[in-house]
Amino acid sequence: MSFEWPWQYNFPPFFTLQPNVDTRQKQLAAWCSLALSYCRHHKLYTLDVMEAQESPVFNNKKMERKLSIEAIQVVFEELRKKGEFSSWLDKNKSRCLVMWRRPEEWGKLIHQWVSRGAFPAHAGLSERRGGRKEFHGLEDWMLLRSLQALQTDGKAEIIIMDDGKGVKFF
Amino acid sequence: MANTATSLSSCGAPAVHFNRSSENLAAAPPAKQKAKYKERGNVLAEDQIVQMSKQLETFKSNLEEFASKHKQEIRKNSQFRVQFQEMCSTIGVDPLASGKGFWSEMLGVGDFYYELGVQIIEVCLALKHRNGGLITLDELHHRVLKGRGKYAQDVSQDDLMRAIKKLKVMGNGFGMIPVGGSYLVQSVPAELNMDHTVVLQLAEKKGYVTVSEIKDSLKWEKERACHVLDHLLKEGLAWLDSQAAEEAQYWLPALFAELTSRDVTPEEANQMTP
Repeated sequence: MSFEWPWQYNFPPFFTLQPNVDTRQKQLAAWCSLALSYCRHHKLYTLDVMEAQESPVFNNKKMERKLSIEAIQVVFEELRKKGEFSSWLDKNKSRCLVMWRRPEEWGKLIHQWVSRGAFPAHAGLSERRGGRKEFHGLEDWMLLRSLQALQTDGKAEIIIMDDGKGVKFF
Repeated sequence: MANTATSLSSCGAPAVHFNRSSENLAAAPPAKQKAKYKERGNVLAEDQIVQMSKQLETFKSNLEEFASKHKQEIRKNSQFRVQFQEMCSTIGVDPLASGKGFWSEMLGVGDFYYELGVQIIEVCLALKHRNGGLITLDELHHRVLKGRGKYAQDVSQDDLMRAIKKLKVMGNGFGMIPVGGSYLVQSVPAELNMDHTVVLQLAEKKGYVTVSEIKDSLKWEKERACHVLDHLLKEGLAWLDSQAAEEAQYWLPALFAELTSRDVTPEEANQMTP
């Protein structure tokens, strides 16, 4: 399924951080939405801001407009503030994690999958990831956070083994 | 249609009759003269009123007959409504002047425009977060028709304009700004004066405008142009594009043609501020 761009994507001023406060709020809301859906569609879990500036979502080549580095940082900062959809990997805000699906939601999905008997209740971390298309490309840090969320919920336990980590499900 | 029009206009001006008095007023002394003239004036006025009442009765029953014959047409046919409205204004009657009474009850004209007004408000509210409360008459028309569905009554741009005028009278913050041969419909009480309007008209062609264009076309000083543009930004009617090749461009979402076909997505709906 191809990605559907919102009307704002073809509206030149969308790529300029708006001076008017109210308009900027609307603009950021739209950017947050767009950034999240784009990452969800392409299963992107981390973002390098410099590289992102060249990605189609922040750079509309046809229209010759792109979001500035500063503006991209503002968007992901907004995502972080709005509900932890993003978090910075460094103080300079050059890289960030994108949680278009929150750890708790991932945890739930994993638990469901396990409950259906897709895997033995005891398994290594890397085994957890194979198989289901849903989890393809799910990066380690995200998987770990999801399992930690399950652990907090009392639905799983992370075990340190000799050759890495394992998970026990309840 | 022509016959009915004739029968209405044949009501014409009331005729006035003069009572002949045997008294010769000219010969009487001035004070008495004045009193007599006054008395006669009263008598004449009464006479006129009686005559006019009779005329009005005839007029009213003709109109009732007309109404019952054409009520269906008025609801269904936009072309007919235009002609009907023009006929009314020739007589000096505004069928939308009051919500209740003869016109809206007999003809259902009031109801039709009232309902249309409500629809117009709905469309404008739904899109306000995008265009700041400014929408082209074309886009409004397109969306109203869409909202009415396939089997609903035909609605013309003339209908929209009348409904909007009615909304304006009720103080809903509505207004119409002539641009490029049509109109922009304003649905929020943003302060827009002549300067703002003229810049909107300039922006209509490309959907955006620059300071240079304003200075060249309108022969304004830079300050005046900037002042207007700043106001449009402040009112949420314009967005700034600072990546244009030569100079900053000020775009109006209301004039952004591509919006016409796009629906409000569920995500956008969640973003809408009340």
